[in-house]
Amino acid sequence: MSPDRPKRRPFPWIRTVMAVGVVGASIVLGGQLLEQERRGGESPVTEAGPRVPNAQFPTDTFNGKDVPQPINYSHKLHAGDLGINCLYCHTYARRSKVAGIPPTSKCMGCHTVVATADEKPEIEKLAAMWESGQSPAWNKVNDVPDFVHFSHERHLQKFLFDNPDMNVKDSREVCAMCHGDMVEVTVAKKMRPLTMGFCNTCHENNNGPADCTRCHK
Amino acid sequence: MSSTKIDRRNFLKVLGLGGAGAALAGCDMPSYATLEEGEEQVFSYLAPEEYVIPGIGVWYASTCLQCPAGCGVHGRVREGRALKLEGNPNTAVNRGKLCQMGQAALQTHYNPDRIAKPRIGAKEVTWAQALAFIKAKSTGTPAWLTGAISGHQGVLMDAHLNASGGGKHYGVEIVNAQAWRSACADTIGDAQPDLHIDKARSMVSFGADVLGTWISPVKFMADYGEFRAAPRGVLTVIEPAMTLSGANADHWVAARPGSEAAVALGVANALATEYSVSTSALPTGVADAIFTMTPERVRELSGVDTRTLSRIAGTLMSNSPSLVIGDGSYENAVAAMALNLMLGNIGATITPGADLVPADLAMRDGSTKALANFAKNAQSGDIQAAFISGANPVFTAPDGLNMKDALAKIELKVAIAMFEDETTQFCDVVLPLASPLEDWGTHAPPLGAARGEIHVQQPLMEKLHPEALGLGDILLGLAQDAGAAGLDDFEDYYGYLRTAISAMIGTGQEAAWQDVLQAGKVQAPATQRSFTANGSLTINVPESKAPGKGELILITTARQGLYDGRHANLPWLQEAPDQISKAVWDSWAEIHPTTAARLGLKDGDYVTITSADGALTTRIFLYKGVHPDAIAVPMGQGHTHYGRYASSVGVNPLNLLGADTDARTGEVSNTTTVHVQATGDNRYLVRLMDIDRQYGRKLTATISADQQRRNQSNKQGGA
Repeated sequence: MSPDRPKRRPFPWIRTVMAVGVVGASIVLGGQLLEQERRGGESPVTEAGPRVPNAQFPTDTFNGKDVPQPINYSHKLHAGDLGINCLYCHTYARRSKVAGIPPTSKCMGCHTVVATADEKPEIEKLAAMWESGQSPAWNKVNDVPDFVHFSHERHLQKFLFDNPDMNVKDSREVCAMCHGDMVEVTVAKKMRPLTMGFCNTCHENNNGPADCTRCHK
Repeated sequence: MSSTKIDRRNFLKVLGLGGAGAALAGCDMPSYATLEEGEEQVFSYLAPEEYVIPGIGVWYASTCLQCPAGCGVHGRVREGRALKLEGNPNTAVNRGKLCQMGQAALQTHYNPDRIAKPRIGAKEVTWAQALAFIKAKSTGTPAWLTGAISGHQGVLMDAHLNASGGGKHYGVEIVNAQAWRSACADTIGDAQPDLHIDKARSMVSFGADVLGTWISPVKFMADYGEFRAAPRGVLTVIEPAMTLSGANADHWVAARPGSEAAVALGVANALATEYSVSTSALPTGVADAIFTMTPERVRELSGVDTRTLSRIAGTLMSNSPSLVIGDGSYENAVAAMALNLMLGNIGATITPGADLVPADLAMRDGSTKALANFAKNAQSGDIQAAFISGANPVFTAPDGLNMKDALAKIELKVAIAMFEDETTQFCDVVLPLASPLEDWGTHAPPLGAARGEIHVQQPLMEKLHPEALGLGDILLGLAQDAGAAGLDDFEDYYGYLRTAISAMIGTGQEAAWQDVLQAGKVQAPATQRSFTANGSLTINVPESKAPGKGELILITTARQGLYDGRHANLPWLQEAPDQISKAVWDSWAEIHPTTAARLGLKDGDYVTITSADGALTTRIFLYKGVHPDAIAVPMGQGHTHYGRYASSVGVNPLNLLGADTDARTGEVSNTTTVHVQATGDNRYLVRLMDIDRQYGRKLTATISADQQRRNQSNKQGGA
């Protein structure tokens, strides 16, 4: 070995790798912190909400965005103060995979008699759409990706109708498993993460099906 | 070891842990990205029917208009959108089945190239402007050029023509059964007899693609299913280039193009000489032709040997009752009917059809004779105004008819179309047509009429393009404008149709009307026809000689799929592998390997095919299922103006055909003599199943046909 030969640095590119690593790690960690906050850092959702008495379900929460809607409908007023059953308006939930948004005819069924367009500005918007034959364009709040097949009907069957052991008093308790307590929000807000981990926890706790193709069709 | 120094071990530790951590953290992140909040919109219903539930489909009955067979369909509608079509199990025609062309009707409907607004020249106009333009310009008597049309649309078209001075209707279908119909009319006095494949124990087809495109393929396929059930019926197909039917046959025979009639008469000769079948049921002229058609003569004309003729005759004799069909030329069909008469199939597997009452609801068939007549009459200035709907004459007319020049002679050309195509390019006014899933109508399917069935077409959903109008509505408007009697009371075609059907079923009650819509059909009164013999019939077998040196006979073949080219703009059908070559999104020329070897051609070589009327360049596909004297190019491709999916894909073999017409039927010939010249290019034809060999891997166990026959005869001998 010649003593004149210059000494090579063992890993000449290590600085670049470390710099990239630091930047990458901060992005990942920052993202995680951000998501952590949305998951429930300062969630308005309390654990004291309605829940199915004997069911074990994930308690993860999610602090969703405030999504603007064409009509400032209030779940707090209708489902909370007035105590209307969730399934009165979301009547499709027990018959179909989607819960559906109630047709305008259902809204007007009450609002031609109570809290009419003359009294409330938001009802005036609704009545104007009804008269002109337009449907409100609601912005979706709770949504799962297209590759996930979720059926409201099946879940209501399991927890609400076919379920004497758990002593369910109100459909709200069942809905709250995935939607949080809707009486705490005005129009709608995403209050549960609805991720695969969230679904799986509940499926494991309540003997739900575990095969991939049950949800991913 | 210094703490500042990074050695290999530490470096790998850091890299490993950091990488794993980043990967794990990264995995969790996109799950939120896909869960959108407030990104998509959802519309609630205004006041839905009680049975409408979001997420749950409702099925409505309607009729498929993808080909003239007029199968009944059930369409699944969810949230106001048609999502799926299936066959209507209540119909006698398709009995719950639907072919790929029918399934692809959804892509016709949702096609992004649909015409949304009326236009005059290149300028988009309102309906009022377009109609005013038509009224001002239409001086002489109008002519209608359509595909096969039936039901109340046909009645209104007649009303329009009669009220405006007695113009003519030209029904055009390139893929048709006119030769068969003429032959049936001439031999048994019924142009559309009812066929019972399911009752036959053997079937022989001379050039009729009974399972692919012939008359009512879905009905025939369902019947064929029963035919094949035990005891298994035997299918023999004689044709110049293999079709879907030929590929299904137990015995497939390649005949030189135009010589199927010779083979059929050769089989009749074998029946008479070997099995002593009487020819007394035949007209004298036909019986005489059979005895001149000796095996030697058949071989000379068709290249089919004596053994094959005897084998077909033997199959027919030992599997009775049989059914023989023929198409492609008048002689093929007459020779096939001669076999039916000899074998006593008339009245057994071929029974009389029925006439609908009123008769004007019946299907007005399409032919290429009408196409030739239209071109001729337009050239001579007899047509001043033409309404074109459901036909694309510029694309489908053989080059010899000079359709573009003919159209130029017509003063006013109005296209009522869903898509811009080669013909709308030459039209003065183009009106947007509603899709079959948005329109009302009635259709008398060619083989449903035997049972008096009329299929009802109802909209499955709202119009995608609000300005598009249904054909019935346009016809009604034009007829009213022309002053047709008795139509003033109707505001729209729905009102007209409802009144007409109420009269047909004898009640105007809502419940009865709903029953009709739910069934998707209405039972019309029909009178059974009866067969009459024709003693003076003769048959002239064409002199089909081997083509000259360097020449081949071009056959333009039709496929279930792109059909006559009308479905080339549907990606599902472009993507569905061709039934014979398994190729997708392309054109090719089928040529026998021995012919290719003689011409020095390899698989995938590009060749220029030249006829007296034109030339095209495409690549060849070596295939044993084509007669060595023939070159077969499927039609359907080669569009120049047919939307984003069809334009500039493949070649149109119809461009090579001349204006030769059949003396007996007036149909334009679908073959011609061509020269084939290699261009020097060679490219791979994209196919689903690339090779027809297993290279000894035994993926599918097979035995030779001879071995199978020996096994069968051993079994029969032992039993």
